[in-house]
Amino acid sequence: MDPKKLTIEMIQEALRKHQYICDRSLATVVYLSIAMGKPVLLEGEAGVGKTEIAKVLSEVLETKLIRLQCYEGLDANSALYEWNYPRQMLRIKLEEVQRGDRGAVETEIFSEEYLVKRPLLEAIQSDGAKPPVLLIDEIDRADMEFEAFLLEVLSDFQITIPEIGTIRAKQRPYVYLTSNRTREIHDALKRRCLYHWIDYPSVEKEFEIVMTKFPQVQSLLAKQICAFMQRAREMNFYKRPGIAETLDWASALIALNRHELDEATVKETMGCVFKYREDLHHLVDELQSKTLDLERMLKDSTGIQA
Amino acid sequence: MEVSDDIIAGAVARYAAMRGRGTLANLLAFARILKQLGIKVGLSQVLDASRSLEFVNLASKADFRAALRANLVSEKDEVPLFERVFDYFWRDFCPQRPTMEMVAPPTMLSGDRDGWADGEEGGEEELVVLGSNPQAQPDQDDEPVSVPTYSPNEVLNKRDFSEMGIEESRAVRRAILMIANKIATQVSRRKKRATRGEGIDARWTLRKNIKYGGEIVELVSRKRRIRKTRVVLLCDVSGSMDCYSRFLIQFMYGLQNELWGVETFVFSTSLSRITHLIRSKDIGGALERISDSVLGWSGGTNIGRSLHAFNRDFAPSLVTHRTVVVIISDGWDRGDVRVLEQEMRRLKSRCYRIIWLNPLLASENYEPLCKGMQAALPYLDFFLSVHNVNSLVALGRTLQKLVA
Repeated sequence: MDPKKLTIEMIQEALRKHQYICDRSLATVVYLSIAMGKPVLLEGEAGVGKTEIAKVLSEVLETKLIRLQCYEGLDANSALYEWNYPRQMLRIKLEEVQRGDRGAVETEIFSEEYLVKRPLLEAIQSDGAKPPVLLIDEIDRADMEFEAFLLEVLSDFQITIPEIGTIRAKQRPYVYLTSNRTREIHDALKRRCLYHWIDYPSVEKEFEIVMTKFPQVQSLLAKQICAFMQRAREMNFYKRPGIAETLDWASALIALNRHELDEATVKETMGCVFKYREDLHHLVDELQSKTLDLERMLKDSTGIQA
Repeated sequence: MEVSDDIIAGAVARYAAMRGRGTLANLLAFARILKQLGIKVGLSQVLDASRSLEFVNLASKADFRAALRANLVSEKDEVPLFERVFDYFWRDFCPQRPTMEMVAPPTMLSGDRDGWADGEEGGEEELVVLGSNPQAQPDQDDEPVSVPTYSPNEVLNKRDFSEMGIEESRAVRRAILMIANKIATQVSRRKKRATRGEGIDARWTLRKNIKYGGEIVELVSRKRRIRKTRVVLLCDVSGSMDCYSRFLIQFMYGLQNELWGVETFVFSTSLSRITHLIRSKDIGGALERISDSVLGWSGGTNIGRSLHAFNRDFAPSLVTHRTVVVIISDGWDRGDVRVLEQEMRRLKSRCYRIIWLNPLLASENYEPLCKGMQAALPYLDFFLSVHNVNSLVALGRTLQKLVA
């Protein structure tokens, strides 16, 4: 798909075709980021599809996805570039044996051939037909220093390597940053980005997502799953289940060949939805005390319309 | 900050002079109003917002709204206020050029943009009109927009911790997570270069061996210098703190579960270590377990004696120069002030930072006059308030700036 001729509708439709159901406001943000060449900062609870959209977009645009997973202590060396030291040393050794020209070796071992490209450099240097999608995942996990460094890269899309010189991006990558909000991102970085908060989907949208991902699932089961997940998110669990959990659960139920939910099935397969022992206990209690009235919920769920 | 309709109306009225001069002027006015109401908006964002309007179909209010929101808002909490101001400010929003919209939905082809540029030159072509424009075409958005006065978020942020529901406790947990991260990462920054563990630092090895002509003589290894902060939490659970006890539990529980190496104590007239009691993620059960095993819950206060017990029994093994001690108390002390002062001094000399969180600090006429608080003040690195979610967020920000 040619990014220059996109419209919001086309993006929404294309994402849908690649099984990513999103509302129009998110499609608008994606569209704007392509049009304006601005990075997008996506925030939202875990498992609502922040990372997924970058992956799907790279498929839609038929381009490469370059991913940088952030973690505490991530530094420029592992994000940008590093010299291939073993290879450099080997080369020096070899030259010593052959008694070659020292000066030539020196310039040679600091050439691109001896450079190990890390995601950011790769994204900037990419010279494919189309700019790549650069996904900087969980930026809140990296520390402030890295954020400041990233700011520099994202504002100019150029990188300076002392031994080689400045490398300027031939084409701006489509940049997606995601954050789980475990800490606040610095204002300066936010200002450079388009912001979008991805919320949990409505029950109708979630139903649509399940039906899109698993066309073989019976719509009754899908409705029941979605109704359950919506209810679970209203309750006081330590970790609220996201869409990722919904899909996990649906695929588990399909594998088990279930066509309908009942209390036994829910209890057997709860490990797909809740990942903490306390949450599992909590669920059993709620089911017992009828705070979570499964029967009624299942009956009500038939009313869900796509 | 609770923003009433009157404040929004007032802010809009203040910039009324800027209206009617084209979309850009309207946009500027809109951005200034947002800024005035507390949303952080920079000039570059406004420029980008105006640039983004070239790309969206202005006949669609939803797209227009999404474009402005993506550019001007950079925080989830700002979204509700943005929506309200948007509804109020652009209430007479109307599609002025329907024919063109139907013919050509805007694409990114530069050719298409010429048409738009032409359109904006004429005065009457102003796409979006403010306030009381008699020419405004009524559409369904035109009827008086009832601006909601209730925003759960704002109420939540201001509500005292005395009563909390599920949504509140979730917000508290989020704030605590942020604080926990700040305490953990800020102080442990030093380890940055060395996280990769034991091994050879090739870069420095090569550097160091240039003097030998590239022959590797000396090896430089990466040293593991983990500087994880320890946090010791001392919570006052005496009678005067009763109305905050739910928050206290949540705070203790949250901090301990989000952060490595937290030790938790509660005190009233005596001190109890409860680290092991709140190790699980089951908060309801934790409450029971603690109240079962702690003596003197809701009793009187003797901070000095409790601190003395802490310094004697626990500090030698738990508190080092990397430990942050967090004390949560209102400072009402029935014990000997001299003991309190002496124990604070001893604690101070041993630990890295002392943070005192006082729920009373927020009330307007509170001054730390009670003797206990007076005696402790000189030894504190931070004296901050905790009483609602906002103050927790503020606490997180302060820690970010100050703990280094």
